[in-house]
Amino acid sequence: MNPTNRTAAALPAPRYGRRLKWAQRRAAAAFLAPAFIFLAFVVVFPLGQAFVTSLYRIRGLRSSFVGFDNYVRTVTDEAFWSSLGTSLVFTASCVAAHLAIGLGLALLLNRVTVARTLFRIAFLMPWIIAPAIGATIFLWMLEPQFGVINYLLQSVGAISEPIAWLGRPWSALVSVILVDVWRGVPFMMLLMLAGLQTIPIELYEAARIDGATPLQQFRYITLPNLAYLMIVGTTLDIINTIRHFDIIAVMTGGGPVSATEVLPVLLYNTAFRANRLGEAATIGILLLGIVLAFSIVYIRAMRLDRDGGRD
Amino acid sequence: MIKSLKRAASLGSMAAILAAAPALAEPVTIEWQNINLTESQYEPVWKHMVADFEAAYPDIKIKPVLVARKDHWTKFVTAAQAGEAPCVVTTDIAPAAYNGYIQSLDALWNAEPEEFRNGWSEDIMRGVRFDGEVYGLPTYGGIYAEIYNRDLVEAAGLDASNPPETFAEYKTWAEALSGDDHWATAILGGPTDTTTRVLLSWIYANGGEPFDEDMTESRFAKDPKSLEAIKAYLGMEAAKLAAPGATTTNYLEQTNLFAQQKIATMRNAFWGIAKVVGDNPDLEGKLFVAMPPHGEGAAPATVARQGSVAISANCEHPEEAWEFIKFDAQAKYAIERALKANFMPLRNDLADAPEVAGDEMLSKFLTIGQSAIAYPPSHPYWEDISSGDIVEAVQAALLDPERTEEIFTALDEKLTEKLNDI
Repeated sequence: MNPTNRTAAALPAPRYGRRLKWAQRRAAAAFLAPAFIFLAFVVVFPLGQAFVTSLYRIRGLRSSFVGFDNYVRTVTDEAFWSSLGTSLVFTASCVAAHLAIGLGLALLLNRVTVARTLFRIAFLMPWIIAPAIGATIFLWMLEPQFGVINYLLQSVGAISEPIAWLGRPWSALVSVILVDVWRGVPFMMLLMLAGLQTIPIELYEAARIDGATPLQQFRYITLPNLAYLMIVGTTLDIINTIRHFDIIAVMTGGGPVSATEVLPVLLYNTAFRANRLGEAATIGILLLGIVLAFSIVYIRAMRLDRDGGRD
Repeated sequence: MIKSLKRAASLGSMAAILAAAPALAEPVTIEWQNINLTESQYEPVWKHMVADFEAAYPDIKIKPVLVARKDHWTKFVTAAQAGEAPCVVTTDIAPAAYNGYIQSLDALWNAEPEEFRNGWSEDIMRGVRFDGEVYGLPTYGGIYAEIYNRDLVEAAGLDASNPPETFAEYKTWAEALSGDDHWATAILGGPTDTTTRVLLSWIYANGGEPFDEDMTESRFAKDPKSLEAIKAYLGMEAAKLAAPGATTTNYLEQTNLFAQQKIATMRNAFWGIAKVVGDNPDLEGKLFVAMPPHGEGAAPATVARQGSVAISANCEHPEEAWEFIKFDAQAKYAIERALKANFMPLRNDLADAPEVAGDEMLSKFLTIGQSAIAYPPSHPYWEDISSGDIVEAVQAALLDPERTEEIFTALDEKLTEKLNDI
């Protein structure tokens, strides 16, 4: 049982009559109404509109109802599956790297005793910079002729001629993944650091007295205590990364030869380059379905915690 | 009682008149979105023109909408979908008219006197017609020529007064101009329609016809002349005659390479010269232009990018917007745009204007323009085809030159289907 439930159980049973309960409900509804109306305007209505749009064949300002034709067209289009594959590779690589590097940095920062705040701010910098600005900086750093990365690699003799990092399918995909890793690690680092600081120090002291090595301490104390945060953090990170747009839009626009065309970029290109707003809305709805699936995992993880799963 | 009512009525009438008076005097505001407004060389020209217009038409105010070049179309589409598009906009006519984003100007155009309408040739006007109706006014063009760096040409032992005329001669020059860390030219393969413009200039110069006349069939691989030109052009990267990284090279990267003297020649329009001289003032006076080389047995040809201005469908003041468009199209502003911002005039009556004829570079471009084919071709899906499908095929062929024919055959199939899916 978690602390919230314990507190609830300790409270006396409500003694209010039915009428008072109804009044309470009305008050609760009145308090919730502004937030509900706001969310309806900014989330529910646009989503409903997007779904309705996905049922139309739209060419500019002209449209005709086509039912689920756009869905059939999209799921039978090779470009959609190729883009979904790219999205999965991009998301899996980025999330795995965010977690591994974020955890590593959190472990390091947890031990640092000197200039702790300075280090934390320094590591948070990529997260503070807007993704589009960070992407533009990397775009110029990776530029084949004038970019600093080719210059440094040539200076130390690592490469003999400039490499067009964003000009070849695999190197372009790896490049955008690395830039996203640079951007996304601080979030995971912050989460893991917060988790590490909740682990009682006595556990480590007891383990040390019992002769546990640092690796055993990590395996049997740190990891189990961080497991819940890792699930929540990873799920949130998947939801965030799979719908990521700005870095790829700025650096490659989905190219070369669609090698970095993740679903949000395909959606953008379908809407604004091809002017097929109905199909673009369809891709958006399908992407929403994927995000919702991961959201269910996230909500279940949260419920598990609320229902005492961690105890 | 009646007296009070009368007094109240007269006071009410006076209040209504007073309230209406400022509204009547309120000038009409016309929003103007032009793809080039953020370019530094053009800024003084358009600001001066707008000031002149507002002085001549005190009842009309112009509100420029500054948009980065690459966001121009996206922002226009988004605004048009919301019914909030700027009144006056530069755009490719066919996609905008097909999608209903701009309105027909037929009535306004036909109401103009003949001497005004004769300012543009029927060839030029074809680019602003859709379904037989006029949807825009051609304002300026970009004639694609071969621009050379005289110093690099002479340093390579080549004769600048005798530039290459054929593909074979160009290849000989390219070999002489290339070295370990510098190249003859840059191939454009980045994700913008400039990639397609330059590709088409090579195809046309080889006598190729990548599309049939009514734009229902794609023939990049089917037409041997087109395929030959594609192979000659794209093959230069594998032969190390063009800068590496072509799949990421757009207009900006190409002009950077040229301004930094990493490449000796570039296929670009007159405005490209202003850009490179702005980036590297040392190049002032060191550039020369020539007709792009052509294939054996083919007539010289290139492309001319036509910029057109239109009135959005949601514009509530089309007459005022038309006045502004006509004002901007006047000869004196067209000449100023050409001389200060390097935008090629499209009016018939300007080629012989003393200011234009006296500018050697400008005159040379106009001469080259006589062999130019208008761009973009008129098709509603051209934006998607030119910035998407053709670019992807160019990138794929650059990455795997051996499969060039196969890649462009697949492109033909895809495009033929798309061209007919209206």
